Amino acid sequence: MSQPQSYQVIVTRITTILLLIASSVCAAETARAMDKEAELLAVLKSDASPAEKALACKNLAIYGSEAAVVELAKLLPDEQLSSWARIALEAIPGSAANAALRDAADKLQGKLLIGMINSLGVRRDAEALPVLKKRLQDVDHEVASAAAIALGKVGGQQAAALLVAALPVATEPHVRSAIAQGCVLCAERMLADGQHAESAILYDLVRGADMPMQRRVEATRGAILARQQKGIPLLIETLHSPERKLFQIGLATARELSGNDVDQALADQLDKLPSERAALLITAMADRPDSAPMAAIMKAAQTDDKTLRLAAVDALRRVGNETCLPVLMQTALDSDTDVATLARQSLAELSGDGVDVQIVKLLAAADDQSSPVLLELVGRRRIEAVAEVLPWLENENSAIRHAALKALGETVTLQRLSLLIEQAVSPKQPEDATAAQQALKVASVRMPDREACAEQLSQAIDRSSVAAKVTLLEILSEVGGVLALKTLDKAARNSDDALQDAASRLLGKWNNVDAAPVLLDLAKTAPADKYRVRALRGYLGLARKFAMPEADRVQMCRSAIDATGRVAEHKLALEVLKLHPSPEGLQLVVMLSKTPELKSDASAAALAIAQKMGGDSVNANELIRAIGLDTIKLEILKAEYGAGAAMKDVTEVVKKQASNVPLIALNAGDYNSSFGGDPAPGVVKQLKIQYRINNKAGEATFAENAMILLPMP
Amino acid sequence: MRNQAPEVPRRRFLKTMAATAGSTILAPTIIPSSALGRNGAVAPSERIVVGGIGIGNRGTYDLGCFLQQPDVQFVAVADIKEKRRVEVKKIVDAHHGNADCAMIRDFRELLDRNDIDAVLIATGPNWHATAAMAAAAAGKDMYCEKPVTKNIDQSLILAETMRRTGRVFQAGTQRRNLPHFAFACELARTGKLGQLKRVYAHPAGMQAMMSGWLVPETEPDKNVVDWDMYLGPAAWRPFNSQLLDGFNFEKGGGLVGGGVLEWGSHCVDLCQWAVGDCPPPVQYDAPKDGQLVARYANGTELIFRETGWIPLGSCPVRFEGETGWVEAGDSGKIVLSSPALLAGRDVAEIGGYPATFHVRDFLDCVKTRSQPKGNADAACNAHIACHAANIALHLGRQVNFDNQTHSFINDEPANRLRSEALREPWRM
Repeated sequence: MSQPQSYQVIVTRITTILLLIASSVCAAETARAMDKEAELLAVLKSDASPAEKALACKNLAIYGSEAAVVELAKLLPDEQLSSWARIALEAIPGSAANAALRDAADKLQGKLLIGMINSLGVRRDAEALPVLKKRLQDVDHEVASAAAIALGKVGGQQAAALLVAALPVATEPHVRSAIAQGCVLCAERMLADGQHAESAILYDLVRGADMPMQRRVEATRGAILARQQKGIPLLIETLHSPERKLFQIGLATARELSGNDVDQALADQLDKLPSERAALLITAMADRPDSAPMAAIMKAAQTDDKTLRLAAVDALRRVGNETCLPVLMQTALDSDTDVATLARQSLAELSGDGVDVQIVKLLAAADDQSSPVLLELVGRRRIEAVAEVLPWLENENSAIRHAALKALGETVTLQRLSLLIEQAVSPKQPEDATAAQQALKVASVRMPDREACAEQLSQAIDRSSVAAKVTLLEILSEVGGVLALKTLDKAARNSDDALQDAASRLLGKWNNVDAAPVLLDLAKTAPADKYRVRALRGYLGLARKFAMPEADRVQMCRSAIDATGRVAEHKLALEVLKLHPSPEGLQLVVMLSKTPELKSDASAAALAIAQKMGGDSVNANELIRAIGLDTIKLEILKAEYGAGAAMKDVTEVVKKQASNVPLIALNAGDYNSSFGGDPAPGVVKQLKIQYRINNKAGEATFAENAMILLPMP
Repeated sequence: MRNQAPEVPRRRFLKTMAATAGSTILAPTIIPSSALGRNGAVAPSERIVVGGIGIGNRGTYDLGCFLQQPDVQFVAVADIKEKRRVEVKKIVDAHHGNADCAMIRDFRELLDRNDIDAVLIATGPNWHATAAMAAAAAGKDMYCEKPVTKNIDQSLILAETMRRTGRVFQAGTQRRNLPHFAFACELARTGKLGQLKRVYAHPAGMQAMMSGWLVPETEPDKNVVDWDMYLGPAAWRPFNSQLLDGFNFEKGGGLVGGGVLEWGSHCVDLCQWAVGDCPPPVQYDAPKDGQLVARYANGTELIFRETGWIPLGSCPVRFEGETGWVEAGDSGKIVLSSPALLAGRDVAEIGGYPATFHVRDFLDCVKTRSQPKGNADAACNAHIACHAANIALHLGRQVNFDNQTHSFINDEPANRLRSEALREPWRM
């Protein structure tokens, strides 16, 4: 018996096998690429149409090698195919493609030349500097501008030197702007490579020159970042600039430049800037969450300037901690509603482990003015503070009592749920009943153990008034679960009409199909006829609403039909079957079409199901025969699909699907797919059809994806 | 974790609030009263002057969201189609009660106007990134519809450019500003679901598409439809009216266009938010059984899947952690593994994915210079994830992405698909 192999040996072998597989896959892919390249080159060398050559170029972007460059280069002067050839040349690795683009850049003019220059820039071809230098002086301003940008993309000291030399002599505004862009691009790359001083020189050159504002904006940002902490004075200067665009780039750069010194410098400006700017600076400071100077922001929150206060209070929401609590509490009680509302929002979201503890402490010592805010915070922050909240239920002020109830609703645990049950069932003040019931509902649906919750609620029913019983039943229906269902079933059979009414109504809205057997049984055995009808409708409502295997749904409809002779409920069953089309459902619908009272509805349902199932899944002729409809002679004259001016002619598609019934079943499930795309995305569309049935002209309009059932003219 | 649609208990659905009523997790909109005139009109200094570029169907919807904002003054529309220029002017002039909205064929003329602070870019996806770059170079802030980029390199350049130029960029990923999606992402991001294991995105079709070279038709007058400007950065081809469907033209560009990008730029974007806007996944498997699995560096899986969703409307996402899960969709509703996750919170239930809040977020950031929710860095990461998934789809095999070098590891075919040359004279 051989020794077991070590884990390491097995892993090594598996790895080797995988590498071999990978290399053979790569080899196979390379071989396929070579074959493909040969095929594509044959197209380029042939007298194939421009369309075929264009597609060949596009594929050479993947399969082409240096061997393809010669043929591609021949297309560069071709106005139609030049851009297609560059698609391949930009992608093919190696120096041959660069050389071909440089050669063309030396010979071509106008837009085609610009294309070559752009591609050299994309490929960052350092050997292109001479040709780009030449083109930088081109009399065609667009060519010169393209060369400047390309130099910026190539980057490096030599490219930068060419641009710096060109700037003082360039006079055409677009070219000057492009040279500045090239300089900034060079500087960005230097900055990313850690060449701060070199990049700063370029940025300063641009921002000191007579340039369009946007170039100065970019250069100013770069000049600040390149100087790092030494850029703070320039940052501050920018924030005070009379130019709005420079102030704005100051705000953006303030978010990018790191360091505590920056935070302090920004904070120092709050008193020196006009309030509108100071407010915007506070927002920028809050976007530096790790180092935002809290004291400065809190000070701003206490000024008289509303704009500044709003910005500061909102900033504290994002970066504040427990130290901000007193200021925010004071602000939350402010007479200015905007400021106070925002402060409450900030308090609700304030970070910090100590915030909740402090809120509870404040609540214990609160007065009637601050207690509503603190109770609201207990609720919104989900602070477990039942002991501190309870005393407020005894307050004389009903608004405070209601705030306390709401807080309990948001925070009480299962163990203390009875507190709220008592408040809901036997409120000390009648005016508290609604608030208590709402709080109980909020608490109940939040309980992780809904059976345990339902047990407490069910037990409370026995000792409650009828009105309270109804409330508890409503809450139980929201909670759901086995016990809740059982309790509602029992209530639906109670001798009290009010309970029968509530329970049968709530069971019909049950949140899953578990209520189906209960409702079906009630449909047969409920004490009053009106509730039997309601139960059956609720039962069908479940069949209509919830996801389930279609066979189960059809069985529910069948059971409902068997349970009553009422036509109205039979029609409801048809609606369910129509909404959820299935072969089983169609069979049942066809069967119902034999009943005279249902023939019309069942026929329409059958056609609708056929429409939704679509395609070849239903034989229209057989269906027409089965439901006893006459066939017709249908001619489609014109069909358009779309919205407003974006109407698409879909006559041929509709004609193809038309048969000898007034129903047109499309191949795909929706109009867009059937009609080859969305003619008006994001807009409600219509399908308009002009037709003749039995030689009578008609016209109909259908909402997007509606069943296409043509009315008889 | 189960994938079948479960019971959907009412109590697990969030409480409904009117869209305008605000909620605990909707960011406050502060237009200080000092900025308001006596009639509630916004003072001129507080107004944001906006122009529109490529305002078609979606753009008209976005335009409506902008015009709802009291501090927006819309002054110009640039579009290559005369009909649209006229239609947009009519809407804007009627709103402002004047005849001031300028109609411009070439958007560069709009960008040259110094009075315009910000632009709405709602062209087809072919133009999004290129127009955004031009807007940034001209010093405009921008709200740019999605998908924002056509490939990985464009995504990276876009993010870098917005940083360098100091521009405020908001991608049209409006679900980032809808409370229920925000809440779902927050649960995932803040560990309320336990250690995050899987995030799911609905790609809504993984089919690649390419806008070809169709049979030439007579080119309309330039003033009616400017075909050259319509093509813009896309490689040249003759006029054909079928290609005027800007919504799909050159979407995703290259050979791998479309795919997961159309909805991925929403759903994957939300998944990215759920994982804390970290760099995109590093590994993308070949698609299998209607789903594609990608993996982040920490092992969390990003799963693109077509089926298995709870019926919560379009654009669903699902986040699964060790201790819980959450799923949300465009109905405005979310389903949670436990009601305890809701912790009693009221979260506004706003269905139908309106962009109003997203536009407001953008405008607030234009004023404060903060980063909006759909900022360029976030959009860049989400789009890279989509592009990389599309490349795995196109190649039909696993690809591995290095977030340091922004390239695929030892994979030349994949790397060649990271970018594509733009037609002259356009550049990124």
